[in-house]
Amino acid sequence: MSISEGSLPWLEKVKSAEKTCIIQDGKRKVHYKFNDNEEMAEEYNMQTDVLVRRAWRRRGALKKDGDWEVEMGDPEPMAVQNLGSGIGLMEANNMPYVVKRITKGNIEWRIRNLHFPLETYSVSANPTENCITVRTTNKKYFKNLPVPELERVGLVPKQENISFAHNLNVLIIMYKKPPEVLQAEQAVLALIKSVKTIKDPGELPCNPS
Amino acid sequence: MATLAAGASAKVPEVRDIARIERIGAHSHIRGLGLDDNLEARSVSQGMVGQQTARRAAGIVLGMIKEGKIAGRAILLAGPPGTGKTAIAMAISKSLGKDTPFTSMAGSEIYSLEMSKTEALTQAIRKSIGVRIREETEIIEGEVVELQVERPASGVGAKVGKLTLKTTEMETIYDLGTKMIDSLTKEKVGAGDVITIDKATGKISRIGRSFTRARDYDATGPQTRFVQCPEGELQKRKEVVHTVSIHEIDVINSRTHGFLALFSGDTGEIKPEVREQINGKIAEWREEGKAEITPGVLFIDEVHMLDIECFSFLNRALEDEMSPVVIMATNRGITKIRGTNYNSPHGIPIDLLDRMIIIPTSSYTDKQTMEILKIRCEEEDCEVSEDALMILTSIAMATSLRYAIQLITLSSLVSRRRKSNEVAIEDVKKVYSLFLDEGRSEQILNEYQDQYLYDSKLPNIDKGAGGEPMEA
Repeated sequence: MSISEGSLPWLEKVKSAEKTCIIQDGKRKVHYKFNDNEEMAEEYNMQTDVLVRRAWRRRGALKKDGDWEVEMGDPEPMAVQNLGSGIGLMEANNMPYVVKRITKGNIEWRIRNLHFPLETYSVSANPTENCITVRTTNKKYFKNLPVPELERVGLVPKQENISFAHNLNVLIIMYKKPPEVLQAEQAVLALIKSVKTIKDPGELPCNPS
Repeated sequence: MATLAAGASAKVPEVRDIARIERIGAHSHIRGLGLDDNLEARSVSQGMVGQQTARRAAGIVLGMIKEGKIAGRAILLAGPPGTGKTAIAMAISKSLGKDTPFTSMAGSEIYSLEMSKTEALTQAIRKSIGVRIREETEIIEGEVVELQVERPASGVGAKVGKLTLKTTEMETIYDLGTKMIDSLTKEKVGAGDVITIDKATGKISRIGRSFTRARDYDATGPQTRFVQCPEGELQKRKEVVHTVSIHEIDVINSRTHGFLALFSGDTGEIKPEVREQINGKIAEWREEGKAEITPGVLFIDEVHMLDIECFSFLNRALEDEMSPVVIMATNRGITKIRGTNYNSPHGIPIDLLDRMIIIPTSSYTDKQTMEILKIRCEEEDCEVSEDALMILTSIAMATSLRYAIQLITLSSLVSRRRKSNEVAIEDVKKVYSLFLDEGRSEQILNEYQDQYLYDSKLPNIDKGAGGEPMEA
C-alpha cells in the first residue's frame, strides 16, 4: 500500500503551512506557521535527514503566548523551563522523565531515572486512546506515551511492534515504524527540501520591535 | 432561628482563628437580599431590614439578571439618604455569585484626568460583561502522601519543601518554591488530601480527603468530603472554564503594542480598533461554542453626578445587545441635570428616565431602625444594653441613621474606658455631646455664623480679621 501525496490531512496541513527553513549549526531548522495560530519547529540532522527535535507552540484563547511543547527530542533545559512558570512547583530532579527520539527505523522513548528491575515494567499498546502505556507493578510509575506519528497516518499502536529494555536506570521503549509512517516522513522531507533555505540569519522574516 | 444559631456557633472559631482580612465597611453586614423561595421579602434576614417592596422588586430584577437573556436594562433605586439603596445593590451583588460580574462605581469616578468620561463609562460597561471561556489546561491531580517544609534555621531566606503526590498507579516527588509552600499552607493541605494544582497559574483546589484515610482518628468537620484516590497519570489535560470580563481581554490585548504600552499602562484609554477586534473575536468564539457571554451588572451610585454627555452616552450604550444590566442609585429629588440648566426628576434626563424601571425606597420606621442598629452592633462587635439601644434608635430617628451607626463604635470605645463590656446610656450620651450631628452643627453655625470666616450671609463682616470675601 502506498500513500499518494496529499491524501492525508497531516500532509495537507504541512503543505498549507507557511514554512521558513534555515541551516544553522549543522542542522536544518524548519519553522511552520499554521492557520489556527499554531506553530511548529523542527530540526533535522543534515547527514542522515532524521528528525532530531520537534516542538509546538499553541496560542491560548486569551492570546497569551504559550510555552514551547517539545514533542520529541531533548527537552528544554531546566533553566529555561523554570523562567516562565513561576508557580514554584517542579518535579524533583531524581524523578523519571521521558525523552523521545526517532531513528531511521524506530520511534524510541527513553525514560530516565527509573531504577526498578526490568520485570517491574509492563509496556502495552492502547489502541483506544492511541498511546502506549507504561505501568509498574509496584505502582510507582505510570505513563501514557502518545504516538502522534501513527495518528497522523491514521494508524493505532500495535503490541507486536513494541520492544523494551532496561539499562543503567533507563527504560528504553522502541516502536518499529510501519511503512506508512516512513512514507509520510519521506513526503514531508521532500516538501521542506523544496523550500528556499535561508543561509544568512539576517534575512529571517521577523519584524523588529 | 436554628440555622442562625448553628451558623453563629460555627462562625465564631473561624473568625477568631484566621486573621480577618476584611474590614468592617458600611455594608459589610449584608449577605443577600433576604428573600424566601417565593421571592417574598422576610422582614429581617441576611442583614437586610425593612424595605420589603423594594427588596421584592430587586429580587425580580435579580431573576432577570440570572437568566442572562435581557441586556441593556436600567434600574433606578431612588429614595432619601440612608434608606438602603446601596445596601440593596450590594445585596444583589452578593446573591449573584462569583460567575456574574458585578461592577460598582460612584458617579463621580468617571471624572478623571487620565481618560475621557465616555472611556471611563465604556470601561465600566465592559468590566460588567463576563465571558466564560473554555480552555484546556494542564493540571496535576493527586493524593498528598507527604508534605515536607524546611524553614531556614535563621528565620530568613527562602523556604524549601517537597511534596509527594500519588495516584492509584504512580507516585512523584515535587520540589516546592516559596510561593507554592505559602499557598499550600494557606489552603491547609495535609497528607491524605486530594488536591489539584493548575500548572499554568499554580492555583490549588482541595477536592476532599482520600477514602483510605477515612479511618484515621482525625477530628473532621461535617463538611469533609471523602473521595477516591485519582487514577492514571498525575498530570492531566483538563478542560477548565474561566470567567473574565471583556475589559480584561481588552487590557491584555492592548498591551502588546510595543513598549509604548508600558507607559500607558492598563488604566489608559483603549483604542476602539482593539475593542472592535475583540468584539469580533468573541463573536467568533461564541459561534464555535468556545465561549459564552454572561452579561453582568453595572452599579452606578450617586448617578446624579453624571453629566448630560454621560447620560446621552448611556442612552445609546444601553441599546447594544452586549450591554449589562445597569443599576443606578440616587438620593436627589427634582434637580438640575449636571451640565445643563434644566431641572429634571432625580437629575436624570427624561428620555433616560423613560428607559428605566424605578424602585423607590422609603424611610425606616423606628422598629426597623432598631433592628438595623442591632445588626450593626453585632457587625462592629459591640455589646449594647437594651436602653442604650433605645436611645440610639431615638437619636437615629431624630437625626439620621448614619449618625447613629457612627456612634456605635465610638460609644463602645468610651465604655471600654470605664472597663465595661457593655455600652450603657451614659456612654451614648457622652459621645452624643462630644460629636455633633449635621443638624446641631447647622444650628451652631446659624447662631455663631458671624464668628466664622467667609460668611456669605453677613457682608458687613469685620474686614480686619479675614481676607477678601469669597466669590459667590
